[in-house]
Amino acid sequence: MITAKLVESVWAQHVATVERYNQPGKFTAFIGYEFTSLVKGNNLHRIVVFRDGVEKFGKTMPFTALDSKDPEDLWKWFANYEQTTGGQVLGIPHNGNLSNGMMFALNDFKGGPLTADYARRRQYWEPLTEIVQAKGESESHPFLSPNDEFANFGKAGWDVGNLDLSATKTNDMFASEYAREALKRGLMLEAKLGINPFKFGMIGAGDIHTGLSTSEENNHLGETFILEPSAERAMRTEKRGSITRFGWQSLAAGLAAVWAKENTREAIFDAMRRREVYATTGTRLQVRLFGGWDFSERDLKGNWVKQGYARGVPMGGDLRPATSKAPSFIISALKDATGANLDRIQIIKGWVDASGQTHERIFNVAWSSPETRKVSKDGRLTAVGDTVDLKTATYSNSIGAVELRTVWRDPEFKPGVRAFYYARVLEIPTPRWPAYDAARYQFALPDGVKAESQERAYTSPIWYSPKVAP
Amino acid sequence: MSLRERLRAALKEPLVHFLLAGLALFLFFAWRGDAVDPESRTITITEQQVERLAASWAQTWQRPPAQDEIDGLIRDYVKEEVYYREGLRMGLDQDDTIIRRRIRSKMEFLASSELENEAPDDATLQALLDKNPQAYAADARYSFDQIYLAAQDGAAAGAAEMLAALNKGADWQKLGDAISLPRSPEAVDRTRIATEFGEDFAASLAGIKPGQWAGPVPSGFGLHLVRMRKVEASAKPKLAEVRQKLENDWRAQTVKDREAKAYQTLLDSYTIRIAKP
Repeated sequence: MITAKLVESVWAQHVATVERYNQPGKFTAFIGYEFTSLVKGNNLHRIVVFRDGVEKFGKTMPFTALDSKDPEDLWKWFANYEQTTGGQVLGIPHNGNLSNGMMFALNDFKGGPLTADYARRRQYWEPLTEIVQAKGESESHPFLSPNDEFANFGKAGWDVGNLDLSATKTNDMFASEYAREALKRGLMLEAKLGINPFKFGMIGAGDIHTGLSTSEENNHLGETFILEPSAERAMRTEKRGSITRFGWQSLAAGLAAVWAKENTREAIFDAMRRREVYATTGTRLQVRLFGGWDFSERDLKGNWVKQGYARGVPMGGDLRPATSKAPSFIISALKDATGANLDRIQIIKGWVDASGQTHERIFNVAWSSPETRKVSKDGRLTAVGDTVDLKTATYSNSIGAVELRTVWRDPEFKPGVRAFYYARVLEIPTPRWPAYDAARYQFALPDGVKAESQERAYTSPIWYSPKVAP
Repeated sequence: MSLRERLRAALKEPLVHFLLAGLALFLFFAWRGDAVDPESRTITITEQQVERLAASWAQTWQRPPAQDEIDGLIRDYVKEEVYYREGLRMGLDQDDTIIRRRIRSKMEFLASSELENEAPDDATLQALLDKNPQAYAADARYSFDQIYLAAQDGAAAGAAEMLAALNKGADWQKLGDAISLPRSPEAVDRTRIATEFGEDFAASLAGIKPGQWAGPVPSGFGLHLVRMRKVEASAKPKLAEVRQKLENDWRAQTVKDREAKAYQTLLDSYTIRIAKP
């Protein structure tokens, strides 16, 4: 029984450590843990975050995947925690891309149909989804979005199997793994059930097991200690059966950005709960999105943030009842202070038609050098260019924009159709971490290694419902 | 279907494989002569054990388990115990990296767990502070006005003329390009400035004297003309202001020391022989 005592005191010590390092206003440390549900190698992990300090949290012991692998049991425990302590908690699923079709499945964990009750609980307990981290990006996939020329970010090596590579992936699994498709299916389910189970905001995170917050490409210290910088790590292999995953396929990390009034547990948690968050692939670009019914270019001349809140809703919200023929959005992005310039802002719209069919469309809404870069008939924008020098792992901000901002009105709006809108902001091409390794350790990257990318941010959506969501 | 065909079909069944493997193991142990102690095939669940299972459940769920929940816990415990004992009999605990690591980390934890109940006294913390005051000093805080000039790759387009005009009294509010950065930061600490404007810009501020417009100062966005209004330099901190940080550092260091000492004590009682190939 010494072990039971030990487990208790390890957890108590962990909670005490979090408390000691939490400095309201300066550095926020949340009590939390990971619910590591893994079903035959299919990843159903959830990050669990508490709003509370130890005075409410008390001696609570976490509910882990040893207790149950079913997320519904976790939610039951969440409800119980809130009732008995008066505290608050939420769960954040991550790596749908490694769930082999389970993360956003159209049935529950036990295989039963999704019900309104399930949808209500899932929407409440899981208001966010993590879409970027070291183990790939789970926002969109080229198979699901063939017209999206930027959907292939962080796919290589991660779209071939489940978490431990014990099972290969087939095309039919993608639709219930990726966030954009889940958001679209959420609209379809809302039409059917009256409530949307997949109404979530999006964040990025590290999955960095070293305790270091080094999310940039040029300071990538590795996901775990075995992946610390070396001349070999990019070509390290993880092999199982016929599938091989390479070191270079790991992403440096993602980041979660939160629009909160204070750097405190309470303010940050509340922002996460209302989904006023966005994801980045590791850079610190600043992105704003407001949706309303009467925004115009004129608003950008004054205090548009104030107007955004006053006359509209921020990312993560529901559009208010219509007061004009189409919604308009203020979208703004400022580059990372020490990072790359911006290529473009896009709006990604998803909707479901009367027959229950889901659709998506990507609009380019603001971009650098508009005098020379034009949108073609099929909606594609001239590429921004590429200044990356792989020999030295450098790039130049001689292309792209420092800041992009616009007001965009949906040209295809139909009042009777459920829809969501979110922004994706792309940076100009920059070297990836394997390119920095190659330049620093003086070796040549083999063919096929992805050496550069366009880093980006994805905001949480703003939803439109013909009947305002409850 | 002939008997032979039936046998062949049956041999393909996974369950049959499992049973055959079990039989083989049983025969192996029987042959090896390790008689199974009948006592070790008896699982007795005491009242205390049930209470412990219930108490651990209650700590997770904040209420005592109902009877059917207790029965479930017991069933699960029995299942685990059966597998655990059989696994031990087969030696599955041997040479398992995960089990070894787990036991090692338990030992490491034990070495320092008592530390949780200890608090360092003021003298200890003051000594820590005196040893490295710089590490505990608060950030310098700056109040300044800044004008942004969009300039690709640091080209100082017109910055000099603008600076001259400003120092002759031009209205700074009307000058510069638009950008979503604060124009007049008020008592903002250096770390925060580095986050918003970049490290290079934050470092440059230390060299700007309050009063006149100065610059251009480069940032990740372009160029800035800066008028420093007030600098609150970082001062040597008082114990009370940085007590928590000192205590955290003391704790982290003491954990390391105790672990090292505990390991050394254990190691001293061992004779280590290494045959190098």
